[in-house]
Amino acid sequence: MTFTGLVGQVCMLPLRLIIGVCVALRIHPNILTFVGVLINFAAAWALGLGKFTTAGMIMVVANIFDFIDGKVAVELKAVSAFGGFWDSVIDRFSDISLFIGLIFLYSQLGRTDYVMIAALAMMFAIMTSYTRARAESLIRKCKVGFMERPERIVLFMIGAFTNRMAAVLWVILVLSVFTVADRIIYTYRELRDTQEALA
Amino acid sequence: MKGAAMLPVRVLWNAFFWTYERATWQYDLMVIAILAFVWLTPPDWLGDPMASGPGPVAWVLAMLTAD
Repeated sequence: MTFTGLVGQVCMLPLRLIIGVCVALRIHPNILTFVGVLINFAAAWALGLGKFTTAGMIMVVANIFDFIDGKVAVELKAVSAFGGFWDSVIDRFSDISLFIGLIFLYSQLGRTDYVMIAALAMMFAIMTSYTRARAESLIRKCKVGFMERPERIVLFMIGAFTNRMAAVLWVILVLSVFTVADRIIYTYRELRDTQEALA
Repeated sequence: MKGAAMLPVRVLWNAFFWTYERATWQYDLMVIAILAFVWLTPPDWLGDPMASGPGPVAWVLAMLTAD
């Protein structure tokens, strides 16, 4: 068992309980998704005010909703195409709101350099999702690159709880650039190979 | 010999052109590298506008050395 696998299994214990409660109460997964984004807005607000520990705690709650919605949908047999679409769209709002919170904070502090770093990190975070979504309209799967949404979220929490948000932003920015590049290269190769096979 | 010389290049390429799943030893290594960067880089080097205090690594060291 790997270290990250062990952490994942430990985190799953309380989450299974929460999923069970949501299933018992028959809460619709789309509502869970929506509640998650509202709580994320509160986290963004706290980030904007520079209250990182509070923001971290709110992010934990928001991302519980974010994480369990899909699992509850499966348990309730409420999986739908719209649910997947809704989840993806709402996730982008959650992502962007956290970055906006930081951009607001750094602009208040007069730190144009970190406004730019946060803005670029936001751009590449969005492009990470877009490149995969667009690629998967052309090829079967495009799951390459390290910096996906769960990694970003965990890094945000680590940055908030340990007050090392600048380092976290650098990591998100650099690895998101590589992730977008990976996806472009991978899609190019896959399409080229398909064309060559057909020729 | 050539293979050994190319090893760092291959490691770097595999790190940047990432195709590994979560919960693999490669993933663990990447996580350790990221956490080391986040927690060990002095905030002054990055010009962190918000960082204060010695940081998590120093907290752990202080706890270990406390009487």
